[in-house]
Amino acid sequence: MLSGLCRGLARSMSTATAPYPFSKVAIIPPAPAAPPAALRQGKGLMPYLQRTLPSPEKQKLLDTLFSRRHPDRLLPGSVLTVILNHAPTTFSGVLLSIRRRGPDTSFVLRNVINRTGVEMQFFVSSPHVKEIKVVQGAGGSGGKQGRRMRRAKLFYLRDSPEKMSAISAGIKN
Amino acid sequence: MIRIWSSNARPSVSRCRNLHSTVSANAEVVPKSKKPVPKWTPSSLRTGVIARKRGMTAMWDDQGARHPVTVLQLENCQVTANIMTHRKGTTPYHAVQVAASDKSVKNTTLTMLGHFKKAGVQPKRIVKEFPVTPDAHIPIGTTLSAVHFVPGQYVDVIAKSIGKGFQGGMKRWGFKGLRASHGVSVSHRSSGSTGQHQDPGRVWPGKKMAGRMGGDRITAQNLRVVRVDGSLDLVFVKGCVPGVDDAHVLIKDAKKLLVHTARHNHAKALFEKVLPKGVDDLPFPAGTKELAEKLPPVIIAPSIRVSNPFVPRE
Repeated sequence: MLSGLCRGLARSMSTATAPYPFSKVAIIPPAPAAPPAALRQGKGLMPYLQRTLPSPEKQKLLDTLFSRRHPDRLLPGSVLTVILNHAPTTFSGVLLSIRRRGPDTSFVLRNVINRTGVEMQFFVSSPHVKEIKVVQGAGGSGGKQGRRMRRAKLFYLRDSPEKMSAISAGIKN
Repeated sequence: MIRIWSSNARPSVSRCRNLHSTVSANAEVVPKSKKPVPKWTPSSLRTGVIARKRGMTAMWDDQGARHPVTVLQLENCQVTANIMTHRKGTTPYHAVQVAASDKSVKNTTLTMLGHFKKAGVQPKRIVKEFPVTPDAHIPIGTTLSAVHFVPGQYVDVIAKSIGKGFQGGMKRWGFKGLRASHGVSVSHRSSGSTGQHQDPGRVWPGKKMAGRMGGDRITAQNLRVVRVDGSLDLVFVKGCVPGVDDAHVLIKDAKKLLVHTARHNHAKALFEKVLPKGVDDLPFPAGTKELAEKLPPVIIAPSIRVSNPFVPRE
C-alpha cells in the first residue's frame, strides 16, 4: 500500500503533466479571451496589443487620464502627485509633457526642490506607479482651475522660474 | 557441521521471487512500436522561422524593469522542402526550406505553383531555407508556430534594413566633414581627399565614398525572447530589429549565445550552462501548431537578474 502511494506521488510530480515543459520558471498568465481571426493576418494587431497588454487598472488610466479627447484627461500645466512603490514614494510637480505610445505612455513632472529644478519621467504602465492624483487642473481660465496652456509640451518652463512659481502660487492660495 | 568457508564464497541470493517490490511495480510496459522521441542536443541545429515585424512596444518584467520589445508575427509559416545535398569530398548539406505569408494563385508563377503543389501548401510570398543538422528535418507541410521559441532563449533576427537612398560620407560612413567656418568654401559635408599623390596615383578600390545606403541584409544578434503568444503566433523579442513594419524577417536560434555556447559548455562538461538561464529544453525538431494547442496560450520569460534593481542594497 505504501509503495502504491509513493508511486502515485512520483507520477503526479512528473514533467509530463507540467503546464510548460520547456522552462520551469516561465510565467504563465491567465489565458486571455480568444482573439479574433483577422489578428492572425496582422490586421489591427498593434491596436489590439495596445488595448490588451496593460493590466485592466492601467488600461483605465490610459483611457481616461491619458486619452486625447476624454473630458477628464490630464492637460499640460496641471499639477500632479504621483505615489510610487520605491523611493521617492511621492513626487509632485507640473505636468510638462505627455508622450502617448499606448502601453509605453509616459509623462514628465517638473518641480523645484531646495532651489534645484527636478524633473521625473513616469511610465503609466510601470508596476511601480501606484496612484496619480491631480492637485490642480489646467483647463480653465485661471485661479483655482489653473490656466489653460497654449502648448502641448511646456519645456519653456525650464528657462523661466517665474512662470513655475506662478503655477505653484495658484496651489498655495 | 557449520560450513563457515562456504558462506563467504557464495553470495546470499533471495530464494523468493520479487512479487511486491517497488521496482517491478513502477515498471511501465513499453509498447514495441514506440519510436524514440527526437530531443534537442547541444550539437544539433534547429530550423528558423519566417515572421513579420509588426511594431514595437514596451513590457515590464516581474521585477518592474522596463524592456522595449519588438513584436514579430508568424504568418502561416510552413515547411515546403527538406534539402539534403551530398557531394563527393564535402560534408553533406542539410537544410529545411520554409515559406510564409499566403499569396493568391493568380499572382504566383507556374514554376512556383508547381513547387507549392508538391509540398501541399498554399502559394506563399517568401521562401527561405535554414541550414540544419540531419536530425532536425521536419515533415513537409508542417505549420511552424511561435512556440518554436522558448521565452528566455536568445535569437538572431535577420531582415533588410530601411533604405536611406543616396547618402553622403558623413551619414554613410561617419566622416567628420570639414569646419563650419574659417574659410571653408562650399564643402562643409564633403569627404575631403580620396588618396595620396603620384604614388599610388589612383584611388584604392573600396574607398569609402557617397552612395546608396540601407536596404542591406542585417542580422541583429542575441536578442532575448521575452514573451511567446501561441494563439496569435507572436514572438516578443527585447530590443530593435532591422527593417520597416510588416517586413519579413528570419528568426533563428542565436549563433553565439545559444548554438555555440551550448556546444562549448557541453564539451567542457558544464551541463548547467548549456542552455540559457531559465530554459530547460527546446522544442525539437520544431515547435508546431499541434504543440501550440497543447501549451498555454501566453508564456512570459522571468527576469534573469538575481537581485531586484529597485530594492536598495544594504
